[in-house]
Amino acid sequence: MVVLREGMCPGLEEGLVRDLRAADIKTVEDLVSSDMEELAQKCSVSYKALFAIRRVLLAQHTAFPVSGADLYEELLSSTAILSTGNPSLDKLLDSGLYTGEITELSGGPGSGKSQVCFGVAVHISFHLKQSVIFIDTTGGFTASRLLQMLQTETRNTEEQMEALQRIHVFRLFDVYALLDCLYSLRGGGLQQASVGGGSVKAVIVDSVSAVISPLLGGKPNEGMSLMIQVAGVLKTMAKDFNVAALVTNYLTRSGGGEVQPGLGVSWSHIPRTRLLLERVDKAAVFSPSSLRSATLIKSSRQRCHIRAEFDLKWWSRSEDTSSSRKRKLEETDS
Amino acid sequence: MTESGAQLFARLEARRCLKDIEPRLFPEDGGPNHGEVVELYGPEGTGKTELLYHLLCRCVLPVASGGLEVDVVFVDTDYSLDMLRLVSILDNRLSAARSAGSPSAAADEAVLRSCLSRLLVVHCSSSSQLLLTLHFLETTLTSRPGLALLLIDSINAFYWLDRSEGGASFARQEEKLSKCAELLGRLLRDYKITVFATCHAIRRSYSGSSSASSSSSTSSFASTSTTESDKPFLCRPWQRLVTHRLLCSKQEAPKNMAATAGGSKEQKTRQVFTVSTASSSSSSKTKTFRSSSYYVTDGGVEFIGPNTKVS
Repeated sequence: MVVLREGMCPGLEEGLVRDLRAADIKTVEDLVSSDMEELAQKCSVSYKALFAIRRVLLAQHTAFPVSGADLYEELLSSTAILSTGNPSLDKLLDSGLYTGEITELSGGPGSGKSQVCFGVAVHISFHLKQSVIFIDTTGGFTASRLLQMLQTETRNTEEQMEALQRIHVFRLFDVYALLDCLYSLRGGGLQQASVGGGSVKAVIVDSVSAVISPLLGGKPNEGMSLMIQVAGVLKTMAKDFNVAALVTNYLTRSGGGEVQPGLGVSWSHIPRTRLLLERVDKAAVFSPSSLRSATLIKSSRQRCHIRAEFDLKWWSRSEDTSSSRKRKLEETDS
Repeated sequence: MTESGAQLFARLEARRCLKDIEPRLFPEDGGPNHGEVVELYGPEGTGKTELLYHLLCRCVLPVASGGLEVDVVFVDTDYSLDMLRLVSILDNRLSAARSAGSPSAAADEAVLRSCLSRLLVVHCSSSSQLLLTLHFLETTLTSRPGLALLLIDSINAFYWLDRSEGGASFARQEEKLSKCAELLGRLLRDYKITVFATCHAIRRSYSGSSSASSSSSTSSFASTSTTESDKPFLCRPWQRLVTHRLLCSKQEAPKNMAATAGGSKEQKTRQVFTVSTASSSSSSKTKTFRSSSYYVTDGGVEFIGPNTKVS
């Protein structure tokens, strides 16, 4: 909704705005939808002038059609696929996170959502030398964990610090702060964050459900609307700035008892790709295992319901396992 | 409003009728006529956008490759258009058509470009922008007589935003979409285009769980074609426009399949998508039905058999 103001376009003067308002034409939509001839008579303005105003306003506020051929050309030059750093996840995601899209990780507590987010952030900042925006809504972000991951990548502290500097962290705990942050990022914040080093290639929100789910209980319209706004700004940001958006979501159980990602049906359309993370429980083993499984449950590129197992330790090959891990790494390299 | 001779000609000259856009989707002889609206309705992941790609490809492909060679506008309100996917479908169709003929791969690239240039894409991020864009598209319609199809994915993208913005008054909540629908109605009358729009379900379907609890019902969805969750929920003016309604669903992949799959690459059963169409054509007042099923492959939608009944 765009309210008519004087000076919005040539010819739209104070007097005319007043006359239009008297004729119950308050917004651009009203003006564009109304009958020009009738309106010209009512406001005693020439039909031609009014028609010109309509045309300019329309051109100012419409979304312009783009030829499919141009769009494809642009896409080919701008789309990047960001590796997650984990070969099994990359395989599921058809080689990684695509820029311009929203990818969702859903899983219960302890299924490794945040760990995957950390791993992805570290991989993008250290190996791909690009910046990452990390929005933490649960307070689960720990810089020491990132450092730990980086320490296994390099012993050079300078390199570690450089990589950490490319990860911009925001801590927010409600949806309004999240929206504020996303809007300001879209309105120029992304370029600012790009100044030190590579451009921003990924925006990670861990978790998106933590701020949205409290809203869905009370007034449904308001909560839903805020949820769609978050989705909208993420989607436009991903498209316009060519960044990959990675969000996490919790799990719920439906009436039938099967597990499904949270936030309901209206959210379910939002992510383009969706992974379900689960613990791999081996009945005999009681010690906490870092083995997780990922199932592709939504994708427009790959067949769904492909499952792969991966180890959270992959990103931080900690001291006791480092030798065996390293061997594995060398194997994959050769 | 003044109208130039060229505009009048573009308006009145018969646009390509899309009755035969996809005979397997519609009842016999019941394809969407000039100026009719088709709604594709279903929950997430039931192949609505995939079906749109299928129709889109059919329209933009050259006649030689089994297409209709008409221009298409894609109004993307969900930011869901995956160009790479669309191109891979087009590629597949083109090479399938080529194997029958002869030409080279280099020529294919040029054909692909020309297909894509028949497509116009608009991204909208609010319902008022959608309304203004539809107004703006009128000029596009007058300048391109080859334009015959308008795709909207999805029509209810701003439903919750409008509901919240409208405050307590129900009329105000629906005002913007009603205006869009009215305008669309006029464009349909004046320019004789065909519209396909997707609509997401906004309520979780409980039919699955209820059929599980009541042991009497055997087939899960065939009997419950119009459950509570499938009821149209958008404003009246839009409902009045819709003449064909396609309900999309998918058969649940067997649970054990996903579990046994593991990392191995064994052959799995393919996911089957089903779409049931209810058409109320303008000529006869009766409703006709049809249901068909398809797989989604790398080459896009692939219909299963000529039979209309799904077991």
